[in-house]
Amino acid sequence: MTRNKDVMNRRKFLREGLWGACLAGLGGATGLSVARNNRDNMVWQIDPYLCIQCGNCATYCVLEESAVKCVHSYAKCGYCDLCTAYLVPEPTALDTGAENEMCPTGAIKRTFVEDPYYEYTIDESLCNGCGKCVKGCNAFGNGSLYLQVRHDRCLNCNECAIAVACPSQAFKRVPADQPYLLKEVVH
Amino acid sequence: MTETMEQIPERDKGVGCQTARKTAIVGAVFAGVFTALLVANLIGSAVLGPARELKLDAMKLRVQKEPDNKELLAEIRQLDLKIRRDRLWRWEFDRKAAYMLLGSVVVFLIGAQVTRLLTREPPRPGPVRDVGEVQIETAVHARWAVAGAVVLLAGGAWLLYSRGAVDFVQAQDQGPAYASMAEMREQWPRFRGPGGAGVSMYTNIPTRWDGKTGEGILWKAEVPLAGRNSPVVWKDRIFLTGADPNAREVYCFDGFDGRLLWRGDVPTAPLPEDAELDLMEDTGYAASTAATDGRRVYAIFATGDVAAFDFNGRRLWRKNLGLPDNVYGYATSLETYENLVLIQYDQSDGTDGKSRFYALDGLSGRTVWDVRRALPNSWTSPVVVEVEGRHQLVTLSDPCAVAYDPADGRELWRAECATGDVAASPIYAGGLILVIEPYAQLAGIKPDGQGDVTETHIVWRMEEAGPDICSPVANDQYVYLMESEGLFVCCNVQTGEKLYEHDLRESFTASPSMVADKLYLLDMKGVMHIAEVGPKYKEITTCALGEECFASPAFVDGRIYIRGDENLYCIGEAPEAGPR
Amino acid sequence: MMLRFLRFTVFVFALLAPSLAVCQEYRFPPPDFESGYELPETVVPPPRDSAYEYVDTAVFLLALILASYLIHKKRSRRAIYALVIFSLLYFGFWRRGCICPIGAIQNVTLTIFDSSYAIPITAAIFFVLPLVFTLFFGRTFCGAVCPLGMIQDVVLVRPVKVPLWLESALRVLAYAYLGAAVLFAATGSAFIICRYDPFVAFFRLSGNWNLLVFGTSLLLIGVFVGRPYCRFLCPYGVLLRQFSRLAKWRVTITPTECVKCRLCEDACPFGAIREPTEDWPTGQYRIAKKRLALFLVLLPVLVAGGAWGGHKLKAPLARMHPTVRTAERVYLEETGQIEGTDDVSDAFRATGRASGDLYREASMLRDRFALGGALLGGFLGFVVAGKLIALSVRRRRSDYEPDSAGCLACGRCYRYCPKEHERLNQKKERVPAH
Repeated sequence: MTRNKDVMNRRKFLREGLWGACLAGLGGATGLSVARNNRDNMVWQIDPYLCIQCGNCATYCVLEESAVKCVHSYAKCGYCDLCTAYLVPEPTALDTGAENEMCPTGAIKRTFVEDPYYEYTIDESLCNGCGKCVKGCNAFGNGSLYLQVRHDRCLNCNECAIAVACPSQAFKRVPADQPYLLKEVVH
Repeated sequence: MTETMEQIPERDKGVGCQTARKTAIVGAVFAGVFTALLVANLIGSAVLGPARELKLDAMKLRVQKEPDNKELLAEIRQLDLKIRRDRLWRWEFDRKAAYMLLGSVVVFLIGAQVTRLLTREPPRPGPVRDVGEVQIETAVHARWAVAGAVVLLAGGAWLLYSRGAVDFVQAQDQGPAYASMAEMREQWPRFRGPGGAGVSMYTNIPTRWDGKTGEGILWKAEVPLAGRNSPVVWKDRIFLTGADPNAREVYCFDGFDGRLLWRGDVPTAPLPEDAELDLMEDTGYAASTAATDGRRVYAIFATGDVAAFDFNGRRLWRKNLGLPDNVYGYATSLETYENLVLIQYDQSDGTDGKSRFYALDGLSGRTVWDVRRALPNSWTSPVVVEVEGRHQLVTLSDPCAVAYDPADGRELWRAECATGDVAASPIYAGGLILVIEPYAQLAGIKPDGQGDVTETHIVWRMEEAGPDICSPVANDQYVYLMESEGLFVCCNVQTGEKLYEHDLRESFTASPSMVADKLYLLDMKGVMHIAEVGPKYKEITTCALGEECFASPAFVDGRIYIRGDENLYCIGEAPEAGPR
Repeated sequence: MMLRFLRFTVFVFALLAPSLAVCQEYRFPPPDFESGYELPETVVPPPRDSAYEYVDTAVFLLALILASYLIHKKRSRRAIYALVIFSLLYFGFWRRGCICPIGAIQNVTLTIFDSSYAIPITAAIFFVLPLVFTLFFGRTFCGAVCPLGMIQDVVLVRPVKVPLWLESALRVLAYAYLGAAVLFAATGSAFIICRYDPFVAFFRLSGNWNLLVFGTSLLLIGVFVGRPYCRFLCPYGVLLRQFSRLAKWRVTITPTECVKCRLCEDACPFGAIREPTEDWPTGQYRIAKKRLALFLVLLPVLVAGGAWGGHKLKAPLARMHPTVRTAERVYLEETGQIEGTDDVSDAFRATGRASGDLYREASMLRDRFALGGALLGGFLGFVVAGKLIALSVRRRRSDYEPDSAGCLACGRCYRYCPKEHERLNQKKERVPAH
């Protein structure tokens, strides 16, 4: 029946037309993405100067052991005996006793260097990213400790769960060829 | 049909099926067990954990009062160790249990799928029914169901809506979106400081430094991309811009230690096929100085890109005004007025109506007003001045100085006073607008006129000097001009009478500045000539920076910021140690 | 005694000092070591080599090609199942399901609306490739490649048919999800597809408990109801459905022709097989015409209504954006409606910005959401009207064929067709039996 055939031809024409339009649209989307693309992957980093050490980094990571760890910038450290990141505000003695340590997991190791300087190192396998030491260091010290995303642990989720929960919006995407925002020393 | 034809097997209660079923059951049971273990672990850490930590905190508080209680110390250490061991153990447990759970789920699935395969029924057509009727009925139900879904969605939307909104619209009147004029006068918020006058009221500005020994120099920071624009200072932040043919950036340095706090990128629109940006090498892509209104910093580049950043480096908006048709390259600096960013965009030769003046809203980038100017390209920067309690936006181009009302762009007056490649910006001093015609003259215009005031309001002209680059600086008595070959001229502001001229024999592109009772003149070799303000040239001292300088310096409380060809210098004393 | 005094001064000093690292100066100058101590380096482990990204893209392309071949040419459910397992293991457990084409919708949207975000090229490829293949071969991506689909496919044991009315109603959710995801991605508020992805927690073997519960429930449902996420929730599936309608080579149950034997009626666990239709029975035709006319008239009404409703929702929608949430919290605190502060308002106050500016910015964002919400509402109105219209027209069909939009190209129905068996036997007969 010609009417059916007409309908069929019209429908076929419409279908073909839409098919071509969709393909063209996809081509356009690809073109746009290629024009404004980043050859590299983007990875997550914390801006250490925006971080307020709220403690969300330890709990919001999708991994049970957070990908955010405390990092130490040795060049900025004062190597103080009374390290306000290592010790609680009112320690009974300046030693390694559990009652004096700020870190809940004992991840900061204190070793004597020379009088009156002590070296503080972070054991990443113990650090849980809670930021208590960072808070102490920034408040009373040089700010040489800071929280940062570790790329050997981070899964690089498309939307970082910690970034969503960060109260100061300190999480940024950085290109993978310069993957770390570190606290450097000027001069 | 050959024997190797595939057969769909009949229902099979044989050994294979039994095994598969048992496997599935075993898998399911194990999956249940591991899930239960994981949940138990979760409850354990959620319930026991905090209780233990509270106990530990309480003990730690106690021990501060009894630091010699050895027993208490030992207890604390034991409990702390227990908590830490427990935490690690729980992490390990979770990890292992998760894998075991995955494994048992896989086992269950294999068992279930094999069972299904082995107990598959052969395909059978269903009972005969009236297809047409069924189709109509299902369609009716489906339509109603869709309607029901819409009702549910609408209900959900209504619930969301009825939660109410925090109405902070009226709260926007709490405080303006920009700094007050008084606050601006204490900072250096644009090219040549507040009002573009090049004048600073601070009396504690250093007069002695040496680039070679580092004496008097607080810090020096490398600027990533070069540019001829001058530093802009707001409290403890210094703003500069830099650009090259491929990138345009805004920099924010910390005023006290020179640390680069952030660098903001300004993307540009791709150029059309036949368009080309012709720039003089001396101008560069970042000749225009940035401006700030105390809340945001605004920058413009020779490509016509304007951008606004907040003080934390977040880009708020970006606009492209079109490629400027400007023979030497766009070099006009920005000005702000209340919430507006004022952009003098002079182009071409004045006959084709390309030149415009834009006023954009600082927070959103939206154009608030813009006026056409029948004027050719220029390299002066506009200034907002206060005349008899009202504000005027004064611009200078070839051949007129034009003043507008900055709030709405209405033209107030214009005066023909300068022709040629006008680059020295106008200033307001001694009740007069002072404008320079390069190589020709300095003129004083009374700003209280209306319409064309060429014949009536130009009070005097001084035709013995005419700088081509540097803008003048003046107070109520004297106006000082700096020619780029080094001729420094002083005139009486009220009469225009030349009082002296002194040849410094150096090249200058930085405009002269007046700080309290001293003149600061920065030559291209980086040497600052400091002289007394007065009717005679009296040099106080010179200070060498050791680097070429093209940009005008910035002066704020006790510090000078000078941009050299590659570095930004802060001249001043170290701040006192202690909290800021 | 000395210790107490030291502690006291530090404590008092600390009370006065700001506790936030906005600007740092050396309170304790870096020491000069006399014993020859050397400062250790800060260790910075690099991220995953970007070469892996290109490998992943290549494997993705190969998987799509193989899937299309297996579904259209080889037509073997066993082979397809093998590819299903491979895709689940590689794209699911190995790559941990990220970046996936479903999430890439958001990345592409963000690139279009935010000039400061540049999409990684792998994300763009992951978004475009399945759509291109669908335009040619139908939903072969859904059939054997998508890890979220694959995990649901393997848990399907005893399929239960979902009645058409329930299916139509539930599918509106997928459109709403797509619209909301695009809106929130375009405004830079959130990637909700990633945030509420139910299966990624399994691929990572860890995650938010809410999401784990949601995912487990979906999988448990999926044991009986075939691929519930794919059919009722997947936002990418919405796009694939439309593209699949236009596919050059559709998936067919029979390799040659349909003999209407009705053996495949219960073959599809996803309810995607369509029966041949007849003409409207007499008497129904006029009613149907009137109904269609009604819905066509209703279309602009629904679009307008949806747009109005969406526009009204600007405040709750805007709350997805962190700046708006901050502004609301700060406002409530400043007007005394809430006591105390929280981390968000503390962080805001530490930046030194004026709250008036924050409110202005939040108002501007709300206006964007007013427009975006109107578009979302209009889109949903259009979708609903389209569904009602689609359910009121009758497409002439003479054979048993899969629904061009809903067929997930799993290949389960091939074995039910006697023509398929003929084809298989012919292949076997070419190989002489011994």
